[in-house]
Amino acid sequence: MTQEFKPNLVGYLCNWCSYAGADLAGATKLEIKPTLSVVRVMCSSRVNSNLVLTALAWGADGVLIAGCHPGDCHYEQGNYYARRRFALLKKILESLDLEADRIQLSWISAAEGKRYADIVNDFAEKISRRGPSPLRNHSKI
Amino acid sequence: MKNESVLILGAGVAGMEASLLLAAAGRKVHLVEKEPMIGGQLIKFEEVYPHMECSTCMVAPQQQAVLQNGNIEIHYLSALEKLEGSAGAFKASVKKKARYVSLANCIGCGACYDPCPVSLENEFEEGLAAARKAIAVPCAGALPNVPAIDPRHCLFLNGKDTQCRACKDACVFDAVQFEDKDETAVLDVGAVVVATGFGLLDVKQNPQYGYGEGKNVYTALEFERLFASNGPTGGNLTLRNGQTPKTVGIVHCVGRSELGYCSGVCCMYSVKFSRFLKHKLPDVRIREFHTDLCVPGKAYQKFFEKTRSEGVEFVRAETVKIASKESRLQVLYQNGGRGEEVFEADMVILSPAMIPAAGAKELAEVLGIKLDAKGFFAGRPGSLSPVETPVEGIFVIGCAEGPKDIPESVAQAAAAVGKILSLIPHEAN
Amino acid sequence: MSARIGVYVCECGPNIPDRIDIDRVLEEISPLKDVAVAKRYRLLCSNDGKKYLADEIRSEKLTHLVVAACSPRDHEKTFMKVCLEAGLNPFLFQMVNIREQCAWIFSEKSEATRMAVKYIRAGISRVTLHEPLLQKEIKATPDVLVVGGGIAGVETALSLAGQKRRVYLVERSDALGGTAARLGRLLPHQGTDMRLIQEKIEHAENNENISVFKGCEVEDIRGFLGNFEVSLKRSGGEPPPEMFRVGAVVVATGFALWDAFDPDVTGYGKIDDVVTSLEFEAMSASGKILKKNGSPPRSVALIHCVGRKEKGYCSKVCCLYSLKFAHQLKDSQPAPDVFEFYSDLCLPEKTDQDVFEEAKKRGVRFLRADDIRVEGRNGKIRIAYRDGSAEEAVEVEMAVLAPAMVPAPDSDRLARMLNIPLDETGFFKEAHSMLDPVSAPISGIYIAGCASGPKSIPESVVQAQAASGKILSVLMLGKTLEPEVKVSTIKEELCTGCQTCLNVCFYGAISFDAFRGVSVVNEAICRGCGSCVGSCPSGAISSKQFTYQQLFKEVMEALR
Ligand SMILES: Cc1cc2nc3c(=O)[nH]c(=O)nc-3n(C[C@H](O)[C@H](O)[C@H](O)COP(=O)(O)OP(=O)(O)OC[C@H]3O[C@@H](n4cnc5c(N)ncnc54)[C@H](O)[C@@H]3O)c2cc1C
Ligand SMILES: Cc1cc2nc3c(=O)[nH]c(=O)nc-3n(C[C@H](O)[C@H](O)[C@H](O)COP(=O)(O)OP(=O)(O)OC[C@H]3O[C@@H](n4cnc5c(N)ncnc54)[C@H](O)[C@@H]3O)c2cc1C
Ligand code: SF4
Ligand code: SF4
Ligand code: FES
Repeated sequence: MTQEFKPNLVGYLCNWCSYAGADLAGATKLEIKPTLSVVRVMCSSRVNSNLVLTALAWGADGVLIAGCHPGDCHYEQGNYYARRRFALLKKILESLDLEADRIQLSWISAAEGKRYADIVNDFAEKISRRGPSPLRNHSKI
Repeated sequence: MKNESVLILGAGVAGMEASLLLAAAGRKVHLVEKEPMIGGQLIKFEEVYPHMECSTCMVAPQQQAVLQNGNIEIHYLSALEKLEGSAGAFKASVKKKARYVSLANCIGCGACYDPCPVSLENEFEEGLAAARKAIAVPCAGALPNVPAIDPRHCLFLNGKDTQCRACKDACVFDAVQFEDKDETAVLDVGAVVVATGFGLLDVKQNPQYGYGEGKNVYTALEFERLFASNGPTGGNLTLRNGQTPKTVGIVHCVGRSELGYCSGVCCMYSVKFSRFLKHKLPDVRIREFHTDLCVPGKAYQKFFEKTRSEGVEFVRAETVKIASKESRLQVLYQNGGRGEEVFEADMVILSPAMIPAAGAKELAEVLGIKLDAKGFFAGRPGSLSPVETPVEGIFVIGCAEGPKDIPESVAQAAAAVGKILSLIPHEAN
Repeated sequence: MSARIGVYVCECGPNIPDRIDIDRVLEEISPLKDVAVAKRYRLLCSNDGKKYLADEIRSEKLTHLVVAACSPRDHEKTFMKVCLEAGLNPFLFQMVNIREQCAWIFSEKSEATRMAVKYIRAGISRVTLHEPLLQKEIKATPDVLVVGGGIAGVETALSLAGQKRRVYLVERSDALGGTAARLGRLLPHQGTDMRLIQEKIEHAENNENISVFKGCEVEDIRGFLGNFEVSLKRSGGEPPPEMFRVGAVVVATGFALWDAFDPDVTGYGKIDDVVTSLEFEAMSASGKILKKNGSPPRSVALIHCVGRKEKGYCSKVCCLYSLKFAHQLKDSQPAPDVFEFYSDLCLPEKTDQDVFEEAKKRGVRFLRADDIRVEGRNGKIRIAYRDGSAEEAVEVEMAVLAPAMVPAPDSDRLARMLNIPLDETGFFKEAHSMLDPVSAPISGIYIAGCASGPKSIPESVVQAQAASGKILSVLMLGKTLEPEVKVSTIKEELCTGCQTCLNVCFYGAISFDAFRGVSVVNEAICRGCGSCVGSCPSGAISSKQFTYQQLFKEVMEALR
């Protein structure tokens, strides 16, 4: 459809690990495609279907949720809740016949600047190939 | 009236914890660190046992909190030179080496590194990394993110090139200050906490371990950097020729019998290394050579068992020798009654004994306290608490007191704080 | 008064303008609703920059501030301080990261500029929704409750008690000191003797600032850091002796010895002169290490790791105290033969190995053994074991079992009462097993000594002092507590009372108000992670500074 399609992605990053990892990517001047807008939350456990579905409904082509590696959550167990919630969210998307791979959950530590860059670039790449979200045209924004 | 300020020597995990707690209690803290950054050994590790937590994620908030705390004054590149007085009224002379970069002006952009014409070995990366410059931060993500100039190697400062101003010209924040001078600060404090940590036994001293130039025998700290995603290989576990190891031997207790003590943490971190390896190279064959396995306490044995169940081999080995055979390595070891056996490996990791930090002896003299027979700071005879030293008002915590892991180091830090806050209560009380 | 937002873009020297067209950004931002000023500045975090910003806040009469610069991890606190100094509530400020997460990662200037505009717009639209949060102050009681009067509890009480700080020391049994007080002697290299333990106990008993309750247990406890209400009961069940308030609680309930061993394997209870380590200590304390028939044993087997396999962990001190027993036996005249049956010798502290080497020198035999069985044979004790593949046996006159250390009885009851977790081994779980080993997950509750797992006396003492250090740095005399500001709150009218959030909160900050049928967050405990917000099916919970509305604004700008 379009070769020049640039996806519009939202990334919910937890403050303690993933946001710090994103900062490290910057501090080491890694190149990232300008497709993902970061929204900082204190912990990945704050992110629920409400936040993700709203982003999709408003036309996001993809939503990334990133938190500390299992066991590393600054609040001990938050990312386990995030993981469970994410599984549920996938099911919801599937049952609504929405493309469930437009959401992704990744663990990114504060030391993983490179990994952050790779994850964002790969996610952007994947979503580019998928094309724009079918919900884009319904979005009121 | 007793002085409520506290002098803390060493900004590792123990020193930082003590600083933060004292600062929270409203105490002024002078944190003296010999390096241009804070964090100690922990910032070299990717993950820590037993929960394989990301070490950076764990300590970075602590480091930030130290940097941002108004009650904590950090003296970088510093050492205690003289201590006079007694509990409640010490006078400490702290010698600060010049950093030549202004902490106030520098924003850590790194524009000054490239222009510097000098290349040096990177000590932080255990010599595994590409060279660093004469103006540099020790590692990516170092806190504070402000470089220091090494005056021994800077061409301008060592007088080899009076014209070189490359870094100064590159810095638009006017942060490079060649006019910086070493100085001595005299600090009045009520108590002193020694948190100078540990070093590792130099394995070069003992040829039996086959450590040497270009060989694929690594020390534990080298391996930590090799695994670290912010390390010299970006976390790729490769041999020195760039290939991936297929068999790895991990040798515990290096130096234990010579030194006469068990370092308490090497078994656990060696098991951690197997986890690292299995995580990145699922097909790698690993054999760990141990004497007595030391996995004390409620959480550690499980960690070992889980690792063993993933196929890591554990053998009891009395004496271990490493030999080279063509491009590979041979681990020759005595296996109890079964006599000498051989294990061929692409890579061997040595887990050397933890020893007192360099300079512990000189520091002990300055402090007027004794070291024990092993060279660590000695506790007060007749006290059940190892953080108390024979001199009232001086405490020792973390690995400066003896080998231990993070939770024990942190507990000792809080314990010293407990002693200090009850020894020198706030005057308004 | 309508909002007057000030937007300041920091150049960070060349770092930001190199990659972002700041004038372009300002052009796009200036016309936005409520933006009163939009300006650039060379280096806002410098002293001049901070002064400039403070002057701007005052002279432009700003109601909200947005700073687009480096990561909030670097300078959010710096600029919040500036706000405070300039008389603006620091929470009416939003920092936008256009350096690390914009200028430094996007290679094309036009794209980086576009993204910077997005981020700043998001900051502007969220900041108008910010609430002027205030640092609360909570009055706190400096007094402390210590549960358990073993060496850890006694040391905690001694370190904390003072003229203005009372310590309530509650011990279930009728004596202080726990196991440490019942030992015959301490390890040789511990450099001290049992007198020191007795002295500590006496000091605690005689300290006028310590109220010792022996034969008592906690009946009930409610509250939070700074304000707990405690009632006690007598172990016998008599009427409650006392009710009082404390600011913190230390759990120092210690351990028990595992006793579920199989008599057919250990011989315990079946064969004479097979004793547990604590029974051996009792003999040692009485000065008479004798067999049942009254004569001293001529040979003794010390059996390590009893129950290690079953419990799945190493109890850390059994190797050491077994070595202590060996030395003690070798001290007697004539010295018996001593055999140590061990799996792995665990000697983690710097002087431990010396004790072992000396024992070896004194002729103690160390046998690495698997599958140990203690059998009775002709009035003697036969220890059968496997060494590698070989079956071996040794005959002795006395066998001492070193059973695993397990949690104190009823730990689960206490845990439920305090609303703190046990871990899978049944010991109390630490707030953070690495960085905070003496705190329970709930603020104001601390754990010391063997209550959180097997430890030696020095380690237990260190933990007691550590818990004291933590408490002294939080419950300062004459000071109020300043809890986290960015906490969660529950809207009563939306809460259905399902109590999902209660289970989700790791810190036990949420309780259920049965009377009104809704859940309530205790702001003094909440750490603001937002787990509960994410889990509430009714959308009744909101976390300050991260409300749905604020996050939605950010998302909306991202997708514009
Ligand atoms: C290879 C390896 C892996 C490990 N892995 C783990 C693990 O996974 N989990 C775990 O719990 N533990 C682990 N440990 C143990 C852990 O590293 C220590 O428990 C911890 O670092 C001790 O902290 P510390 O603050 O006492 O000392 P350090 O971390 O050594 O810090 C001491 C600080 O003092 C400074 N200093 C030294 N001398 C002076 C002086 N004279 N004046 C001023 N400053 C000075 C140093 O520069 C340093 O910053 C490991 C150890 C090793 C060797
Ligand atoms: C045989 C043996 C020999 C040892 N020898 C040595 C040695 O030589 N050197 C050394 O360093 N360590 C030694 N240890 C370890 C040492 O005993 C422990 O480190 C130490 O006793 C731990 O102290 P504690 O206060 O944590 O626990 P404990 O001694 O168990 O004390 C806990 C106290 O809390 C009370 N309690 C429990 N639950 C409650 C409740 N719900 N309410 C009120 N009170 C409660 C108990 O009655 C007890 O008095 C030895 C251990 C054993 C088993
Ligand atoms: S989860 Fe929501 S609805 Fe359920 S009790 Fe908690 S606040 Fe109320
Ligand atoms: S925000 Fe976190 S700490 Fe606060 S009440 Fe919710 S779950 Fe508990
Ligand atoms: S804080 Fe990072 S996932 Fe919870």
